[in-house]
Amino acid sequence: MLNKTFSLAMVATVASVAFAGQALARDQIRIVGSSTVFPFSTAVAEAFGSSGKFKTPVVESTGSGGGLKLFCAGADLNTPDMTNASRRIKKSEVENCAKNGVADITEVKIGFDGIVLANSKTAAPLNLTKKQIFMALAKQVPVNGKLVDNPYKTWKDVDPSLPDIRIEVLGPPPTSGTRDAFVELAMEGGAKEFEMLAELKKADKKAFKAVAHTVREDGAYIEAGENDNLIVQKLESNADAVGIFGFSFLDQNADKLQGAIVGGVEPTFENIADGKYGISRSLFFYVKDSHVGQVPGIKEFIAEFTSEKAFGEYGYLTEKGLIPLTEAEREKVRADAMALVPLKLM
Amino acid sequence: MSFYPLLIVLLLMSAVGYWFGSKKALSAVRKSSNFITPRPHQFGLYVVIWALVPPVFLGALWLMLQMTPLQMEAGTTQQIDRIFFPVLVLLAAGAGLYLSILRINPDLRVRKTIEGLVYIILILASIVSILTTLGIVLSLLFETIQFFKKVPMTEFFFGLNWSPQTALRADQVGSSGSFGSIPLFTGTLLITFIAMCVAVPLGLLSAVYMTEYASGKFRAVVKPLLEILAGIPTVVYGFFAALTVGVFFRDVGDSIGIDIVSESALAAGVVMGMMIIPFVSSLSDDIIMAVPQSLRDGSYGLGATKSETVRKVILPAALPGIVGAVLLAVSRAIGETMIVVMAAGFAANLTANPLEAVTTVTVQIVGLLVGDQEFDSAKTLAAFALALVLFAVTLTLNVIALIVVRKYREKYD
Amino acid sequence: MTDTQNDVEATGWRSDKFIAGLAKRKRSERRFRLTGLLAILTALTLLGILLFSIFSTGYTAFIQTYITLDVTFSESVIDKNGARDPAELRAANYNRLVQDALRKKFPEVTSRGDLRTLFSLVSNDASQTLREMVEKDPGLIGKTVPVRLLAGDDVDMVRKGYIDRESAEEDRRVKNEELVWLDALLKEGAVSTHFNSGFFTNGDSREPEKAGIAGAMVGSFYTLIITMIIAFPIGVMTAIYLEEFAPKNKLNDLIEVNINNLAAVPSIVFGLLGLAIFLNVAHLPRSAPLVGGLTLALMTLPTIIIAARAAIRAVPDSIRQAALGLGASSQQAAFHHILPLSMPGILTGTIIGLSQALGETAPLLMIGMVAFIADVPSTISDPATVMPVQIYLWADSSERAFVEKTSGAIMVLLGFLILMNAFAIVLRKKFERRW
Repeated sequence: MLNKTFSLAMVATVASVAFAGQALARDQIRIVGSSTVFPFSTAVAEAFGSSGKFKTPVVESTGSGGGLKLFCAGADLNTPDMTNASRRIKKSEVENCAKNGVADITEVKIGFDGIVLANSKTAAPLNLTKKQIFMALAKQVPVNGKLVDNPYKTWKDVDPSLPDIRIEVLGPPPTSGTRDAFVELAMEGGAKEFEMLAELKKADKKAFKAVAHTVREDGAYIEAGENDNLIVQKLESNADAVGIFGFSFLDQNADKLQGAIVGGVEPTFENIADGKYGISRSLFFYVKDSHVGQVPGIKEFIAEFTSEKAFGEYGYLTEKGLIPLTEAEREKVRADAMALVPLKLM
Repeated sequence: MSFYPLLIVLLLMSAVGYWFGSKKALSAVRKSSNFITPRPHQFGLYVVIWALVPPVFLGALWLMLQMTPLQMEAGTTQQIDRIFFPVLVLLAAGAGLYLSILRINPDLRVRKTIEGLVYIILILASIVSILTTLGIVLSLLFETIQFFKKVPMTEFFFGLNWSPQTALRADQVGSSGSFGSIPLFTGTLLITFIAMCVAVPLGLLSAVYMTEYASGKFRAVVKPLLEILAGIPTVVYGFFAALTVGVFFRDVGDSIGIDIVSESALAAGVVMGMMIIPFVSSLSDDIIMAVPQSLRDGSYGLGATKSETVRKVILPAALPGIVGAVLLAVSRAIGETMIVVMAAGFAANLTANPLEAVTTVTVQIVGLLVGDQEFDSAKTLAAFALALVLFAVTLTLNVIALIVVRKYREKYD
Repeated sequence: MTDTQNDVEATGWRSDKFIAGLAKRKRSERRFRLTGLLAILTALTLLGILLFSIFSTGYTAFIQTYITLDVTFSESVIDKNGARDPAELRAANYNRLVQDALRKKFPEVTSRGDLRTLFSLVSNDASQTLREMVEKDPGLIGKTVPVRLLAGDDVDMVRKGYIDRESAEEDRRVKNEELVWLDALLKEGAVSTHFNSGFFTNGDSREPEKAGIAGAMVGSFYTLIITMIIAFPIGVMTAIYLEEFAPKNKLNDLIEVNINNLAAVPSIVFGLLGLAIFLNVAHLPRSAPLVGGLTLALMTLPTIIIAARAAIRAVPDSIRQAALGLGASSQQAAFHHILPLSMPGILTGTIIGLSQALGETAPLLMIGMVAFIADVPSTISDPATVMPVQIYLWADSSERAFVEKTSGAIMVLLGFLILMNAFAIVLRKKFERRW
């Protein structure tokens, strides 16, 4: 009796698997990509869906690289229609796309994400320069004209004006776009201020970047994973630690955390928006042009995303922590996106 | 004809076949002079098998044909799907039914056919796990080979430094990108060891207490409570380890003057051990229960106390099973991801000190796979290589374990 | 009986050595027993601490703040033509009604920025509520009725005490003027808290006050059903084959090692496998519970097999011999006698395996189930997410109000787990026996 039940169950499952495989036509937009853009993309998706004309798009959080890989896998309707990215698409990825039959891609820049250093409100606020950030976090720093392994143990070692506590920075791992942008904007900026490294840059750009982009690995910089809420909570419980994460988390937790002043500029919404605060990066999404018209609603979705009420200065995305583009740039992005101007990489 | 109607028709046909088959068998058997004949329902099942096996076989064949990259016109495929296939299936089922009912007589060895089919199904079921392994190896192999084209094997296997700080973009230049996997494996072992130090004593002692001492009521309440520990999502454990336990250990360390980082291997290991307690306790519980009562009675009869019986008789008798349970727990600890992602972090230190931060293979695999870097870069590919190597390492461990358990296994009755 | 016997050295259990040893043995017995009890208590304490830390932040997720406003369903806003056309009523601007109601309540607020803040007191779910009311009863149009509307997440956080009113204004997400308005509403008794039924009936949302776990619950349910249908029979059959029928040869050794090994494969690798087999080869729909269930089934299979084998092995040989002796075939012995007797153990293993699958996140990442999906899935091939993924996604959101939602979702998940375990206990109770 038992084996009969088993075989029946097996038959039924094999059957339903085969059945489900046949469903193909899609009436729902599918988006994949970066976990940084995810909160913004989902907010637009929800607003788009609640208008009632189209189904709410499905937004996956896969990371920029994984998203582009899926996006470029082919042009048929099993592949996603859009992908979010916290960095620009690479040339090799465009080529890979083209090879798989995804020829025309439209790039839409949606805004900026500020990267802040912050610590607990119970500790003294930090006032740093990029040079100090580099000195505190680089693997090798120039001391007396020579590159040595980072000798600084406390912030005071870096600069006497800073507090006498151990350097303990919680930040993203090297696979993260946040880390990439931080290294490029903050640390490289700091490295340039050393005369010796500036000369190195002129002589050997590669060697310079190798020094400027390498974060120390002796425990002072703790790679704490991508969960920014976790970093926030760890900072709360550890007043000595400093965290590196996206601006929106500082914004939401302003009663517990304070942003470090970098180069004399406070990490506020206004300062990031007008470019005074130096550490921010652009966020993008990419559209597969061949799917427009095949999957209903793609154009309308782009229109919703690039409307003033979404990514505009007072749009709902700014409430979620997105730093808007300038008005002129928004105009241009909107026009290009609606015309589906294909991406051209120099 | 679409799928479900076809299925329903098939099932109806086999139901009718069952009824006819058993009815015919009943009358045939009554007339028979044989003393031992198969029972009517076995004849019914026999008919059902003949009605269902050919269609299932055909269906599998058709599915496979569809999956092969054989180029067929969409129209043809659809036509076959709509008309040809269902007709063929129904014909096959009908023929099977008719022939098998025709063949029914008391001397037919029906049970043999049924059991032969069951045997085949059993073998097919066990092959699923082999196919899974094969699938895993295949889905990892391609990327791993690509990875080893970019990074030399010697560096990966013997390198003591793990720091994939290579560039994300082409215009940047990679800084120190080293892919030595040893720190990851030592980190995994360290955390697993700590977890086992928590889980094995606690789990085993709970199992012993529960089977040998506890009243039925106590057992009925506590055993399921402990099993809750196994079902709590690992994300939750991750938060617990990172925010509560990690900070607690650091504060304790501060108060007694030892430097404990809040991402210490200790915190992750202890919480992981907590998660694994029910694996050890539940499985060893069943195994201890399975030790025959006669062994206990014999021991008591010789005047041994309960604890002596447990230590000298029951545990040795149950040891192979317990070792198996512990190995399962070790496997689970090695493969565990979310707890370590949240609590241990990504710092690849080569250390045996549980108070320092370490990282594990699984953490790196997740980090590398969901990162923002290009998917074909050495960084992402390293995840595949790590997974494959981890696979090989645990395979070796399991082979050793199998040999050990075989050697010491005793059979009681 | 006589004195002479005292001179003879006592032997056996009467010997001094034995009696002295007996006390020691009894002590050691008590010690051992205590250690066992202590182990259980430690494990339970750990569980208690964990549960406490979840419950203490999570229980507020089941309560939600509402604001009652006198809403005028003015015809000029929602039904300009007066035709009561359903399509028109659907598309009307109900937000405007909420805004008008708030303006009427606080006529002193005029500047654009202040109005924005004022409107954020009420969730944007309010327009949905109003639309449903009008669609149900078009007679409301033109009337003014008090309506209970969902409050914005910031208001909710203040009410629950997660935002400290005493802290400096610039540190607070809720500004002083908002607190003034809120206090005014409180005084009128317009602010109330109720059971948050939306948490169980809504799909996911980016607005914490609207977000619910219905989609994730249904997704988890479908996924788990598929996992069970696949993994349980295959697992049990494999175990029976390996224990009862498999000849001892290299192939079966291979199967055995292989199964133990699969238990150690990191779960995310199963995600890669699922991606390769079910999505790329079999072309099943992405993000569907079907694929999630199949992937998790492969992951759970070794756990079930190992537990089932242990349980089958525990059935004494005498049962088997007796069945065979009465003329049963080896399959009849296995299926009619050994399998039922080993069922409790098998069920324990299955429940552990399934609860592991219920709490798994990592493998689902690769097959597209770590996603924002607002609609509740209706079939096994609709896009869906599952409970632990929902927890993971909420835990990663920046909004403060998602913290309690996260814990709330964990509590619900634990509830399911306990239900599953209870079911297993009932089954086990029915069958458990000792040899």
